[in-house]
Amino acid sequence: MTSWHGHRRDASLPRVVREVWDEKFRPQPGRPPAKQSNVDMVLLKPNGEVVHWFDAFQRSGFDPRETLAQYTVREIQKGSQLLGLPKASDSVSKIKLPDVGKSSGMRVFVRLKDSRMKAYQIPVVEAVKLQPQDWLPLKWSDQECLVDAGSLRKWLQQLYPPGIMERTDPQTKEIFKINTVEGILSLVPAGSDGRQRYAVLSGVIQFGDEGADGFHYNGQIELVLTYTMGKPEVQAVRGVFEGTYPRFDRIHNSSYAFPLEAAFESLPR
Amino acid sequence: MQNLLGLLFLTAVTTCLPAQDAERNRILEKYRAIRPTMDELAMYRLDWETSLSDAQKRAAAEGRPIMLIIIHARYGDITSGHC
Repeated sequence: MTSWHGHRRDASLPRVVREVWDEKFRPQPGRPPAKQSNVDMVLLKPNGEVVHWFDAFQRSGFDPRETLAQYTVREIQKGSQLLGLPKASDSVSKIKLPDVGKSSGMRVFVRLKDSRMKAYQIPVVEAVKLQPQDWLPLKWSDQECLVDAGSLRKWLQQLYPPGIMERTDPQTKEIFKINTVEGILSLVPAGSDGRQRYAVLSGVIQFGDEGADGFHYNGQIELVLTYTMGKPEVQAVRGVFEGTYPRFDRIHNSSYAFPLEAAFESLPR
Repeated sequence: MQNLLGLLFLTAVTTCLPAQDAERNRILEKYRAIRPTMDELAMYRLDWETSLSDAQKRAAAEGRPIMLIIIHARYGDITSGHC
């Protein structure tokens, strides 16, 4: 499985994408333009030859009782037959989450609890590779100390929801990246169990992006940090972010704030 | 006096430690509640490659087909879910 994204007017397109889009966007003289989504699924031979493709959302000539999932399975089965693949087994593969390989890092699970769009509730999973210096702001302190949230920006800037269409540059269509991570967090010793000692990092963080409209959102972070006794380097991090993210509804010309949640776990686990 | 101070210290420690444990446990409970379930992470049972070119190299080497998702947009990463 893999994915690719880009625009049909991009100077350079992968051959496979060009081939699918040439067919998809080919004018059909005498026929009204077919409805199209912006997602296509393609099955390729091991040598890269296109075997079968279909629009992921626009079903033509389909039974209205067929669900999107059934349609997707049917189309994949068509491609599988063309590829001569054996019937899929019932065995379930192990979950393999995005990782940072042999490096250390932070895995971030984010979801927007948008009650109107179920798809946004599907979790985003990002794994951010970190260098030894990125962990320094979290080093052990015997006394309560303050931590600038900006010093944790590398992984905190992943805290934005999926489906951010309204936060794109109207000219270039590029996404506005999160460029402001602000807040003063409190790092407090939180006991030990003889082998390990703990601290809690907490506080409010405000985020902003590259848009010129002052867009921002915020929330509360709470992390449990684990240290080996006598060593200042943090060994493990677990915790959460709970905030709200405003979405603009063009139809009703108003904004709605939805819960934005995240869970964090340091890597390796 | 010394005994009284000792008693106060002991009382402070015994009331403080459970409070610290409870605070850590409260946050870790939230972490477990918010972290997606295995069912919600089911798409990661699929064998993902992070780029089309990497997938093509692996497919050629392993003699396996590729399932490609094309997104017509200047942003989006299906592997992570950010789109």
